[in-house]
Amino acid sequence: MSLAIETKNLTKTYKARGGKSINVVNDLDLQVKSGEIFGFLGPNGAGKTTTIKILLGIIYPSAGTASVLGRDPGDTEVHKRISYLPEKPYYYEHMTGRELMLYYASLFGIRDAALCDKLLERVNLSNDKNRPISQYSKGMQQRVGLAQSLLNNPELIFLDEPTGGLDPIAHIEVRDLILQFREEGKTVFISSHELSDIERICDRVAIINKGEIVQQGSLDVLLAGGSTEVRAESVSDSLASTLREKGGFTMSYSSGVLLAEIPDTVNQNEIIDTLRSGKANVVSVIPRRRRLEDLFIESVKDDNVAKGRKLFNMVDKGDQEEKV
Amino acid sequence: MNVILSIAKTTVGEAIRRRVLLVILLIGVLFLVIAPGLQTLSARQNFAVLTSFALGIIQLTSAVIAIVLTVYMIPNEIERRTIYTILSKPVQRWQFILGKYFGAIAALAMMMALMSVAFFAVFYIVQPEARSQIGNIAKGPMMFFVQMSLLAAVAMLFSTFVAPIVNMFLSGGVYLVGTLFNAVFQTISENDQLPGLVKGAAGVIYTVVPNFGQFNISNPLINPGTEIKGETLFFVQLAGYAILYITVALIIAVIVFDRREV
Repeated sequence: MSLAIETKNLTKTYKARGGKSINVVNDLDLQVKSGEIFGFLGPNGAGKTTTIKILLGIIYPSAGTASVLGRDPGDTEVHKRISYLPEKPYYYEHMTGRELMLYYASLFGIRDAALCDKLLERVNLSNDKNRPISQYSKGMQQRVGLAQSLLNNPELIFLDEPTGGLDPIAHIEVRDLILQFREEGKTVFISSHELSDIERICDRVAIINKGEIVQQGSLDVLLAGGSTEVRAESVSDSLASTLREKGGFTMSYSSGVLLAEIPDTVNQNEIIDTLRSGKANVVSVIPRRRRLEDLFIESVKDDNVAKGRKLFNMVDKGDQEEKV
Repeated sequence: MNVILSIAKTTVGEAIRRRVLLVILLIGVLFLVIAPGLQTLSARQNFAVLTSFALGIIQLTSAVIAIVLTVYMIPNEIERRTIYTILSKPVQRWQFILGKYFGAIAALAMMMALMSVAFFAVFYIVQPEARSQIGNIAKGPMMFFVQMSLLAAVAMLFSTFVAPIVNMFLSGGVYLVGTLFNAVFQTISENDQLPGLVKGAAGVIYTVVPNFGQFNISNPLINPGTEIKGETLFFVQLAGYAILYITVALIIAVIVFDRREV
């Protein structure tokens, strides 16, 4: 499969005060395949937006190479085939949604009002297309942003925090739109903090921390190595003791009910067979994949995000205890 | 070309909605309307005073509008991140700069036209005996427009590498020097009694800083007895001078902006 985006040793260095150099992006090797939805994750300040700006040809790398659709990112021919939805976009507020679409279409040399109307309809803005953008809600602004990103029927779409700050309904609408992009064969490059969304819609992800890629690959591979939750009833005390002696997994047992969390490294069938042969009633067997959130935290655990999460959990726990 | 026109059109739309510019314009128009209040002199002097005062108001207001309008143009696009959506489309940076510039001077033309119309309406009412002069006086605001187009190009150039507030002082300073002191620097640069270094420095300033003062043709307009010799050639030369400086300023702006990380 061909690559929509490829970077090799991509580095972006800025001079800080005092003449010290800071590598915002450092030796980044990134491969995004054509037709996939690719998640680009990382804590704030990790270098995500800088990377996107380089891939859009808005800023230039200090070292290394980047290619988008097989060409230099700054190539105008590339810009005809890509689109971009920035984080927290601002649009010319004096314009209506329709005027904005016509303006952006004109930048592609497109003079097709019907296309603009069709795209606004696709993002459910038909009824509001003649209202000034200053009257649009955040969700509506995000949707008009998505509509403008489809004007040139792009092969590759860059989305920077596409669901950030949206209410649940707008959130689902945007997510569904992104899934439609994949069905249309478009490549989507998403930078987001919404890990549950990324886990749900992306084929592959890269996690960047302090300017460097710390994880990259398909979600199936990266999140492999989970566990299986087994719940059984009518478990005798002796059977529970037998299983406890086997070890290798965690379990709780009370009043004949056993709940076991069995890692993929342990033979789960053997434990289930033991339960069944001991006349226990196996009520559920639920495979639990590793969550992207766990992978993310592990990948950036030395970073402030991990510290923040710990702090948040402590506060959360404290709240719960108070409630009790 | 379509891209430049589209960006220019949007720039005009934004500019004519900027409250600060409208307030400055309103103040200018207000001064033009109360200008006849200066009628305490004889009829001949009335004509000269009213015209001179009105042209001065148009010049000053237009210069403030040109600077305020232009210095925020590119920084605002960067700050609000609208520039990312534009530059990620097949838009070259030079097209963006030119679109912004042409939009700025189009908005400026509209605002200056409004002030001129206000002045001519007042003039028509209070100077019935000099109505035939309106066509001639109109050359004044037209030359100011050329002057302001040059000022806007200078401010646009500075806006590619300095912050808006610094740019205001920088562009204002260049305008002031180019309006009031250009002749002084020319005299110094041609004075053989001065040291070479002083002469050289004055010569550089005289050459680099546009001569804004030459676009002010108020004197021949308020003194009907005087006339510009070879008027058409004079205006063509002035326009050529402005176009040359505008072109140089915009080329440098494009070069600087092309390398700038936004």
